[in-house]
This record gives sequence, structure tokens and C-alpha cells, in this order.
Amino acid sequence: MDDIKPDEVLDCRGLSCPMPILKIKKAMVNMSAGQILEVLGTDPGTRNDLPAWAKRTGNEYLGEKEGSGFIHFFVRKA
Amino acid sequence: MIGLLAILIEAWSRPWGIVAGIRNWADWLFYGVGLYAQKPDNPFLFSPSMMDLGLILGSFASALLAKEFAFRRPPKLEAYKGLFGGLFMGVGSSLALGCNVGAFYSPLVNLSASGFLMMIGLIFGAYLGLRYILWEVENLPSPSPAFAATSQKQAPSFDWKTAHPYLGALVLVGLVFAAHFYGKSSYAEVGGLLLFGAAFGVVIQRCRFCFVRAFRDPFMTGEAEIGKAVVISLIVAVIGIAVLKANGFRRETMYVIPTFGWGSLVGGVIFGIGMVVAGGCGSGTLWRVAEGNLKLWIALFAFATSNSLMTGWLESSGIRQTLGTAVFLPYYFGWEGAILLVVGVSLIWYLVLAWNEQTNKFTVGL
Repeated sequence: MDDIKPDEVLDCRGLSCPMPILKIKKAMVNMSAGQILEVLGTDPGTRNDLPAWAKRTGNEYLGEKEGSGFIHFFVRKA
Repeated sequence: MIGLLAILIEAWSRPWGIVAGIRNWADWLFYGVGLYAQKPDNPFLFSPSMMDLGLILGSFASALLAKEFAFRRPPKLEAYKGLFGGLFMGVGSSLALGCNVGAFYSPLVNLSASGFLMMIGLIFGAYLGLRYILWEVENLPSPSPAFAATSQKQAPSFDWKTAHPYLGALVLVGLVFAAHFYGKSSYAEVGGLLLFGAAFGVVIQRCRFCFVRAFRDPFMTGEAEIGKAVVISLIVAVIGIAVLKANGFRRETMYVIPTFGWGSLVGGVIFGIGMVVAGGCGSGTLWRVAEGNLKLWIALFAFATSNSLMTGWLESSGIRQTLGTAVFLPYYFGWEGAILLVVGVSLIWYLVLAWNEQTNKFTVGL
């Protein structure tokens, strides 16, 4: 996870379900294929929601990394 | 799992519900400040209150065990959404005499016709709530991340997180002891409800079971996994509870609530909007509270107090009598007919969800 270089960073800290997914969806619209979005979040629900959403929409979920008090999630646009 | 627990708790003493318990807490608050003259039931002996308390403590223990407990401060906008969502939930659940559990899930599995109206109301309300959220994402600026700085302290010298699982286990042991104590002082029934509440708490926190998602996600992403889970648990529970009732273990009309009329329908719509905006239904709000989500703390407070005030007003104004009538389905369709009706509607719902999952015909999300 450490060597992933995100193209965009989205701060969803403090937001809870369903806001992170909706914001991610919106942020990804303006990105081009192959670019990576890093999401900062505090909602444990995102751990399930983001991989599920990525699978449904064909995007690639790259994984997560524990930060100090929040989690980094990485997803690559298809 | 939820279906099985719903049968068990009803076999033990009474159907599962949320609102009466948290209203009891708000009643105490208003009694305490002198607004209400009449003393509310003792929250430690009042069964709905004990179920809710068990649920919160069970989810709290479960969140600790999974190291998922943390106070999470919401940005301002989210806090307001918690407030208004909570108010809507309070008013809606007052009209419907319950939330998604007490006015939809429990009545439906107890073969009360009001459950169907509540279901229609919730679906419609969830759709409206989602339209608002989508509008917000498109049109309102993202909250500034400045709050993150305040919610984050410097790294503490001792990492409390490592101790969380032990604390969680301690809470669970405490719950068992409390139930044992209740049993000894001849309040075994209430003590048992505390444990059942805790069991619900652990289960729904672990699988992040959420009625909001069941109603909202088909419109939002088309995803139907949780919606299908709700349907399956409905089918399991309705059959189990019908067996209890048909054999006379439980009064036939237990939990057949007198809101088959505008109460359930309008209450369902208002509650549906509220739960989507707040991000937690009756049960979902409680386990998120236990997880440390402060937005839902605000929602719970608004939910309980508005429900208490609205219920008092409905009763004193006599409007409560107009909400609807109690309709017990087996009186009209026979036992088999009533069960088939609930199972049939559930199956249709399941098929629509599955179909929408493939085609996204009803999906409006972004």
C-alpha cells in the first residue's frame, strides 16, 4: 500500500454512510481511466461499502492502510 | 439471524421494538425538567427500555471487540442532518406507533396489516430522502476538512485501542451478571430482554445490518444484498411467529397495532425521509451511537424527544384514535392465507430487488 501514488485525494473524514460512497462516485466522474483516488475516511462501514461498490461498477479496489485516527482507501478508475 | 432472534425474543416475552424504550428515556428527561406531571415507567424495569439498553451495550461491546469504537465528530452539515433526520424519525414513528422495527418489521411478522402500509411508506420516504441527499452532494459545497484537526489528538503515549477488546469482553460479562442479578430478584423476564437486546446488538453491529440500506440502496446504487437479507429474515420470522400464535403461546393480536390507515402510511413516509437523512433507522441509530458516531447521538436525542412530545400531543388531542384500525390478517385470510400473503409480498419484493440489481431500472443515484 505504501508505494501507491494517488492522483486525487478525497477527504471523507467524519462522514458516515452513505456520504463517502456518493462523494467517491462524484469525484471519480472527473478522473480519467487508470487514475487512482485516495480516500480518507473514519467510517468503518466504508471497509465493506467501497470494495462492494467498486466491484459493482467495475472499478478496481486497491486496498486500505491504517492512518492515525482514520483509514486511507485506494481505488483505481477503470 | 435477525429472523431467528425476533422469534426467540417474542417466545421469551414480547416482540422486538425500539421506540417505546427511547421515548421512555425522553419522558424521563421532560419529567425531570418538570414538563410532564406523570412519572414515567422505571427504565430499568420497563421492557422496551431494557431491550434498547441491551442493544446499545451489546453493540458497544461488539464494536470494542472489533476495535471499531471511536468518537467520530461530524462536520456541521452532517450534524444538522442528524438533528432534522432525528426530528422526522420522531414524528414519523409517533404517527406509525413505531419505527422500522416496531411499525414495519414486528407488525408484519405478527401478521398485522399495518406493516404493509408502513413498508410502502418507508420505500417512498427513503426515495424522497435519497433525492435530498443526491441534491446535496451535487449542489452544496463539500464541508471543509478543518474539523479533522480537532478530532485528531496527538498520538497518546498509551494506545487505548489495544485495550478495547478487553473492555468489550468486560462489558459482555457485565451484561450477563446484570441479567443474573435481575433473575435473582424475580425480574428474570426483564433481565432476559436485556440479554436479547445485547444479542441483537452484537449481531447487527457485526454485520452492519441496516434497514436504511435495505430501502435506500436499491435506488442509490442498485445494490440489494441487505434488502434481500431483510426479506429472508421476514420470511423466517413470520413463519416462526405464526407458529407461536397459532398454538396459543402468544395472544393472536399481539403487536397488531391500530395504525392500518393514514398513521402507518404517512408515518412511514416521514420516518423514511428521516432515517435516510440521519443515516440510521431505529435499530441502526442505536448501534451507531454505540460505535461512537456523534452525528447519530444528535439524531437519537432529536428522535427520542420529538417522539415523546408528539406522542403526548397525539394522545391529548385525540388524533391518535384516527390513525387507523388494528387489522389482524388471519381474520380475513385465515392463517395460511395471511402467511402466504406476507411471504408472497416478500418474495415479490425480493424479485424486484434482484431484477433492479441487474437492470438498475429504479436507480437514481448520480
